[in-house]
Amino acid sequence: MSANAKTYGLLAQFDTAAGIFEAAIQVRDAGYRKWDVFTPFPIHGMDDAMGLKNSKVGYFTFCGGFTGFFSGMTMIWFMNKFDYGLVVGGKPLFTPLFAFPVSYELTILLGAFATLGGMLALNRLPKLYNPLFKSERFKKATDDKFFICIEATDPKFAEARAVLEKAGAAAIELVED
Amino acid sequence: MNFPVLFKRLLALFACAGMLTFTSARSFAAEHAPAAPAHGETVAAAHDGAAHAEATAHHGHAETKEPTFLEAALYSYLTAYMFCLSIVVGAFFLIHLHYLFDAGWSVPIRRINEQLAGLMPFMGALSLPILVFGPSIYPWMSIDPATDHALDVKKILFNRPTFIGVIIGSFVLWSFMALRFRSMSIAQDKDGAAKWTHKARFQAAWGIYALAFSLTVTVFLLMKSLQHQFFSTMYGVYYFAGSMWVTLATVYGIMRILSHRELNGVISKQTIHYVGTLFFAFTVFYAYIHFSQYFLIWNAAIPEETFWYVKREAGSWWEVGLLILFGHFIAPFVILLRIDTKMNMLVMGPMIAWAWLMHYVDMTFNVMPVLYPNGLHLTLLDPLCWFGMAGFLGFIFWKNFKTAAAFPLKDPRLKEAITHHEVPAPGAAASHH
Repeated sequence: MSANAKTYGLLAQFDTAAGIFEAAIQVRDAGYRKWDVFTPFPIHGMDDAMGLKNSKVGYFTFCGGFTGFFSGMTMIWFMNKFDYGLVVGGKPLFTPLFAFPVSYELTILLGAFATLGGMLALNRLPKLYNPLFKSERFKKATDDKFFICIEATDPKFAEARAVLEKAGAAAIELVED
Repeated sequence: MNFPVLFKRLLALFACAGMLTFTSARSFAAEHAPAAPAHGETVAAAHDGAAHAEATAHHGHAETKEPTFLEAALYSYLTAYMFCLSIVVGAFFLIHLHYLFDAGWSVPIRRINEQLAGLMPFMGALSLPILVFGPSIYPWMSIDPATDHALDVKKILFNRPTFIGVIIGSFVLWSFMALRFRSMSIAQDKDGAAKWTHKARFQAAWGIYALAFSLTVTVFLLMKSLQHQFFSTMYGVYYFAGSMWVTLATVYGIMRILSHRELNGVISKQTIHYVGTLFFAFTVFYAYIHFSQYFLIWNAAIPEETFWYVKREAGSWWEVGLLILFGHFIAPFVILLRIDTKMNMLVMGPMIAWAWLMHYVDMTFNVMPVLYPNGLHLTLLDPLCWFGMAGFLGFIFWKNFKTAAAFPLKDPRLKEAITHHEVPAPGAAASHH
């Protein structure tokens, strides 16, 4: 650690999934905002335990899908009727009926792109560096240990150690940036 | 996951995917292939003026004459019957889904499904008037196949012995399967043995194929054969999709009402969310299937197929069709898009009533234009048949429901379904420590 290192946060280790689940509820109820949970596998109900609201990715999906649907309709109307009218199979130059399959596919395509992009943006990914990587102990987060990190920027950071100890942390360490 | 479990899940996945796609895949071929002989029929009929006139007259037997009271009553009865069959068959299918996917979340609603599917023998009994008075409902029953090419090529299916045999056979099979599901589930209430789950899972594995094929043929005979000239192998999955939609609305409603009574503490937020999501999914799936049927017919523009929709654009049937487009799909789609509306009874209560109405409109759209080609024609017989049949079946359902536990008491996955996602409310954690 360099001399001008500043504190990133407190990292607490828990040994069981049940342990971290209970701990997350306590940290949530203590009113923390800038913190996260790291587990080797998804734990059902952790969203609620952490007090996370429903993901906002859905709004991205909706906007993407909406754009896809109407760009599909507009594209076919423009190509087939407005710009270069062409009779195919005795059908009208434009009708939402034959434009629908393409618009539908574009709804799904742009909806999927927006979902992926929205997810990455909301998670601030890709992210090449995280101060937690400096912790030797944190490597166990991909194996058999469970971690809570409360960041130093949280207004209640001063009491963080006491909260984590009360929640039953097996080990607590200070992580510097 | 060990190999046998993986294999079973894959098999389940294929079975479901097969059920959903098989008919639509076949439809593409079928809707194009029969065009050639059918064209032949038109040409041949044009040469023979008398035969042509007769064939045209048979397109809708009521076109030229007022329907008799018996016909009007039977058509109202058939509409109500197809509506009620939807819910019984849909619940029956949900049991299959539950076992095939080894689902945990649907354990609390499984008894509702079992009791709804348990109405199958009554549905069989209620089909009796349709079997007896068939010739007053189905025009093809009073046509000599020798004078009607469309009937001649389909007579292997469209003849009275096959009609009666298939419908009785289907109901015997479905009743056996549905009652066996229910009795195995109730047996598990006593001993909690996993063998009942395994047996039910095995039955679901072959049952889903049996149901897919028998339902398709039964719906072809009961509803599609009203206009025997029509080609659409998608028709079975079309009925299935609408059935699942109305069933999920019904199950959702029963579940929410009982969650304050018999199912108090058993229905978790997740279960409500999942049933709501499936309801939303089938809103889309129904639209997808109905659009596909319409679009293939519209695009190919072969008279042997288009007449079915042309007749349903006459008079006020056009508005009924638009009501299905906006009321059966677009409005529910937009309303159900958000998670919170799917959980909110103030939205879902009216939505369920609306889904019932829309499915009834859909059944009317399928059945009634044959009798009333000039437009929507409601008589007192319609609500009479609907309330009578739904009331009778609802009464039997509730009577049966009270004879057994309201949910599978000792299902191995019950605990998972109830507590799976349970998180103490803010402040609750303090009491643990």
